[in-house]
Amino acid sequence: MDATLLTQMVIGALLGLSVYLPLRCGQLSLATPGFYAIGGTLAALLSTRVNALGGSDPLYPIGSVLLEMTLAGLLCGVLASGIGAVVLRLRGVYLAIATIALVEILRVATLNQDALGGAVGIFGIPQPFANPEGYAVFALVLLALVCWLCERLERNRLGLAMAAIRDDELAAACQGIDTERTKLVAFVLSAVVAGLTGVISAHFLNSWNARLGSFDASITTLAFVVFGGSRTWAGPVLGGLVLTALPELLRPIGDLRLIVFGLVILAGPLLLPQGLINPALLGWLKGLLPKPPCTTASGEGQR
Amino acid sequence: MSTPLLETRNLGVRFGGLQALEGIDLQIRSGEIFGLLGPNGAGKTTLFNLISGITPASSGEVLWRGGSIGGLDANRIARLGMARTFQNLRLFSSLSCLDNVLVGLHRQGRLPWAAALVGTPMAQRRQRELKSRAHELLALLAIGHLAEQNAAALSYGDRRRLEMARALANSPELLLLDEPAAGMNPGEKDQLRDLIRRIRDQFDLTILIIEHYVPLMLGLCDRLAVLNFGRRIALGTPDQVRRDPAVIEAYLGGSR
Repeated sequence: MDATLLTQMVIGALLGLSVYLPLRCGQLSLATPGFYAIGGTLAALLSTRVNALGGSDPLYPIGSVLLEMTLAGLLCGVLASGIGAVVLRLRGVYLAIATIALVEILRVATLNQDALGGAVGIFGIPQPFANPEGYAVFALVLLALVCWLCERLERNRLGLAMAAIRDDELAAACQGIDTERTKLVAFVLSAVVAGLTGVISAHFLNSWNARLGSFDASITTLAFVVFGGSRTWAGPVLGGLVLTALPELLRPIGDLRLIVFGLVILAGPLLLPQGLINPALLGWLKGLLPKPPCTTASGEGQR
Repeated sequence: MSTPLLETRNLGVRFGGLQALEGIDLQIRSGEIFGLLGPNGAGKTTLFNLISGITPASSGEVLWRGGSIGGLDANRIARLGMARTFQNLRLFSSLSCLDNVLVGLHRQGRLPWAAALVGTPMAQRRQRELKSRAHELLALLAIGHLAEQNAAALSYGDRRRLEMARALANSPELLLLDEPAAGMNPGEKDQLRDLIRRIRDQFDLTILIIEHYVPLMLGLCDRLAVLNFGRRIALGTPDQVRRDPAVIEAYLGGSR
């Protein structure tokens, strides 16, 4: 497979996961492109304006990319905890609207600040890898890390508390769960993932401008989750991979591809309202596996 | 006399033009089963909502072990040692029965976040302990065989039992039961009476219970309060309440 396309797909999957994290506690946040843009802008600024990060080698040092990621992660995390404390008081579609506003504010502010690239953007972002394969591997490592994080989250106490809040926030609070704090943790994690992805993306794209974090991007990333399913982390990953690849893979059929792409996006929610990776599929897969011995033993013990 | 576990003083709430509760004074003593009786709309569930911090009071206060808990969030009040069930059932419908009870065990699962993230042997052992505790609670409520079932797939009576299991998982000192017998047949209601007594003794609980089924309440409760139109119209032992003229009038109507 083409490594450039693969990198784009992995970036799509990462953004899908960023939307999925708050959605796991029932919070429809569309702030992902905003934090993605913060990460991208920060990386673009640091790598083009701070000469000390460049080093002597013609290739931009990986260490500097990791430093940018650390700073972007911290910045997004701190910003998200401040913003989240306010906007997470909103629920449902009101939260969605507030987070769209946040993305727009960031976009317009960037557009009007020449120091942040202005309308032209920032060009000539240095390359840490000589070929696209390097980017693909780097992005895949980050995706694997975030998937591992989500997998752990779904299996431990915090993830269970998040699912409880999604099902019934009031009942969750009555179990002694600090619902405000739990929602904030998910929102901050989402922002950090988006910020880190922005850093990779900025180097990969070679240039960065304010249009990369727009309302369109909010809807696209949401489509990843709707298409793939929000029940488990595999859903947004699959949705991000497939929906990023599809327009490119359909290129041979010319302009017809846009129609086919539109039909696929439409058919997904119509035929599988809970996404490709849905509870029915998970239940079926579970049935295929041999039953774990510990649960059968305890089941017999109760009779 | 020692401080009551829970006390309400002149507690009241007003929703717009409706005075839903007014001047409610109650003292719940440690270890007793205290019943709330009253016709529909008397304000029983509203009183539960005030006590558990879901609805803010308009007047008066709620005291826990003698200290005011006015203004605390529902989750802070839950952490004091108060657990409740809901009249309309509020289960986590996408989760299995086992997971519902595990959410109830939330406070007992506290671990350093890094240990929980990586899943250290200590964290895994803790998780196994909590799971076996959850299985025990499900078995106690006679729904042990449904552990892996989705909560939404349960029958009405089983959902009520699951809510009780989840509330017990909080290891509360005070258990608030909102119509636990609703949707159960007479035989099941009798079993429920024995079950509530048994869990009170086994878990060393104080229980505040709302129920419409009068025979169950008279046979179960140590003391009863009767509400009507947002006011307390009677308070006492089942025998006293049964003979109270105000109660007879509320339930059967006044004689001319």
